Amino acid sequence: MTIVADELSLVFSALADPTRRSILERLAEGDATVNELTEPSDLTQQAISKHLKVLERARLISRTQAGQSRPCVLEAERLDSAVDWIEQNRQIWADRHDRLEEHLAALRSRSEGSR
Amino acid sequence: MTETGELTFRRVHRASPELLFDCMTQPEHLRHFWGPKGTTTPIGNIVVDLRPGGAFETTMVSDADGAEYVMRATYVEVKRPERLVWVERDVAGGLRTTITFVDLGDGRTEVITHQTNVPAEYRTAEAQAGFATSLDRFDDYIAGLADG
Repeated sequence: MTIVADELSLVFSALADPTRRSILERLAEGDATVNELTEPSDLTQQAISKHLKVLERARLISRTQAGQSRPCVLEAERLDSAVDWIEQNRQIWADRHDRLEEHLAALRSRSEGSR
Repeated sequence: MTETGELTFRRVHRASPELLFDCMTQPEHLRHFWGPKGTTTPIGNIVVDLRPGGAFETTMVSDADGAEYVMRATYVEVKRPERLVWVERDVAGGLRTTITFVDLGDGRTEVITHQTNVPAEYRTAEAQAGFATSLDRFDDYIAGLADG
């Protein structure tokens, strides 16, 4: 895992909002300026900028220094880390239940043997 | 902030909810299955103080290099055999794990594990346990009044 726990909570809370998720989906198709992100939504440019700040703080996006428009870029690797974390945890629980199943089978055969 | 990072994991076992609840909360059971493959979970390092606000701690030791992975959690809800909730404060800004044991009525039980980040205001299990303790004291107080 490449990001630490505290940062992970920043990432998850950034992802909790549907507007921010749709911004990330749009950026997955390619870089976009604040104007380009505001156009398809019902929100004001100011509101979109606020959401971008949250995404930027979670480092899910970055802003390039290219000219006045400063297009937003998706940090895909960062998003992958969050998904990885969920996947890793799923794997831990899957393994744990595999072993629990073996343990239960051992308990059963022990109690059958003692009868 | 509403829901953040979330994970739901379901598994059906051929055992009663009571036995499964005990497996999840008794060191002599936990040591057999808690750690992933390639690790051991020494029984001496398992702490289970089974009450809201009580500690739940395990140390998983890697067979390969002896590296230790410590989990430190605090129980929030303990309701045998239906439900078990604990919070790990140090993980992902506060990770809440809820385990629900659903009796399927045919000797099998579905174990549903739900993990979610905790909204900041509920982050400390102590805060919740403290509240529960206050309520308990209040109940005692009321009962005392009734006796008098």
